[in-house]
Amino acid sequence: MIRALKLEWLKIRNYRLFWILIGMYLIAILVIASGGGLFLEWLKREGVNFNGIDPTIVPIYDFPDIWQNIAYLGSFNKILLAFIVIISVNNDVVYNTMRQNVIDGISKTEFLLSKMSFIVAMAVISTLFLFVAGLVNGSVYSHVWGAEYIFDKTEFLAAYFYDILVYCTLAFLLSLIIKKAGFVIIALFLYTIMFEPIATAIFQNAPYFKDGIMPGIVQYLPIKSLNSLIPFPFSRYVFMEIDDFVPLKAMISSTVWFAIYLFSIVFILNKRDLK
Amino acid sequence: MENVLKINSLSKRFGRIQAVDKLDLEVTQGQVFGILGPNGSGKTTTLGMILEVVAPNGGTFQWFNNVKAVEARKNIGSILETPSFYPYLTAVQNLRIAAHIKQCGTDRIETVLKLVGLFERKDDKFKTYSLGMKQRLSIASALLSDPPVLILDEPTNGLDPQGIAEVRNLIKDIASQGKTIIMASHLLDEVQKVCTHFCVLRKGIKIHQGSVEDTLGEINRVEVASLDMDKLEKSLGSFPGLESVQKTGNSLFVALKPDFTSLEINDFCFKQGIVLKKLVTQTNSLEKEFLKILKEHD
Repeated sequence: MIRALKLEWLKIRNYRLFWILIGMYLIAILVIASGGGLFLEWLKREGVNFNGIDPTIVPIYDFPDIWQNIAYLGSFNKILLAFIVIISVNNDVVYNTMRQNVIDGISKTEFLLSKMSFIVAMAVISTLFLFVAGLVNGSVYSHVWGAEYIFDKTEFLAAYFYDILVYCTLAFLLSLIIKKAGFVIIALFLYTIMFEPIATAIFQNAPYFKDGIMPGIVQYLPIKSLNSLIPFPFSRYVFMEIDDFVPLKAMISSTVWFAIYLFSIVFILNKRDLK
Repeated sequence: MENVLKINSLSKRFGRIQAVDKLDLEVTQGQVFGILGPNGSGKTTTLGMILEVVAPNGGTFQWFNNVKAVEARKNIGSILETPSFYPYLTAVQNLRIAAHIKQCGTDRIETVLKLVGLFERKDDKFKTYSLGMKQRLSIASALLSDPPVLILDEPTNGLDPQGIAEVRNLIKDIASQGKTIIMASHLLDEVQKVCTHFCVLRKGIKIHQGSVEDTLGEINRVEVASLDMDKLEKSLGSFPGLESVQKTGNSLFVALKPDFTSLEINDFCFKQGIVLKKLVTQTNSLEKEFLKILKEHD
């Protein structure tokens, strides 16, 4: 496993675009984790209030709620990590180095393993980073303190990790199928933020569909499954609705997609002649 | 002799085209084995299959008497068609990746870069290299683990005349260390100069196999003629280097024993008082043989 990861590291460590994207990602996480207070200040200045409550006293940084809050917001940035995966796989395809790697003495399974260990490593690092960012902000702003609060609800960190893992595996699969990196990036980006959410909204709300089976089906679409891992947390501050657990249904459908992606990658790698 | 590679009835079909058809081949240790054939005869496809980048439709192959193929490849240095490296990495960084895959350590990187004349440019990015330099880097990469077997697909592609001569000498050098080389080429001159054995493919079918020596065996032949042909023929009977003699038209074709050349014949005849009016050393070229073989199977 370490050998597989080191192979990927040798390929990527002198690649400037990788460092730019990783940098952007980490900055984005920092902004999201630390920017909530500023955002509430801004709301206050704009004269917004929640039923007469001053926005700045909304306890978004309180343990353990902070984990769900920052995991929810942070998970939107996974697309940057997916771009890194797309570029890394695409390089090996267009430069023919995947073939050269095989000729030099790895199996296609080892190639898969090296890309997957790279994805796992990125997911681990960004989860740790999110954890540290949450810990720092929580220690500054949280109204409660103590291990029983801090380490409660950390399953959202695990969900965050899993979200990145599955999403990047999808990116891996797509960049094996489509050889133009730019096209994959645009397609995945649009699908994630527009096509699927809009399609989902239509099927759930349009008069013709909403009473049929479609609303039930669209919850299991690839992006919807992943997004459901970390439910929208902020309704608890407004509507006092509490969805503070990782839904089992989302876990199962994400895992099914994960398995589909992996099997497809193995299938393509074994089937395709590397010419 | 130790078996290096054994191919059994290997086949590959691309759509309507049968690229390789039930190919049988055996390469033993120390051979420099040339795979010849016109463009599109299945040479690269065959090499692709034994390196597991092209999946065969049928047949099997075995490396080193049944070593697992992926492990075997770590002990094979290969060049397959175009050089493939990470353009944004330098020569050294690219070779580090190869060394990591081959699990062979990085201490030979400088040695092989010097060997192919790239040492000066070792810290330049691959994308800044000319075609010839890229080809040299793939040769360096193939030699990196000091492997007992080399697979070379058109190794002199893209090289200048000097580079071709250098690579040819390099191959001879490597072969003289007792290493096995499997080489695909359509440059017959190249094969003739370095190979010990060869086979000819045509439309994926092996139409000939043999040693270069056997095929070009009668290379030590001299064509002679003088004014008095009868006297010449009689005298040559006592020439110590004579293997056989054959009269064709107005010339005698003399097959010589090893270590005898046209020089000794000339000297011998001169001492016998015969002045030669014609003295031509016959050379069989692989090109001639190759065209003959192809024609026979047309």
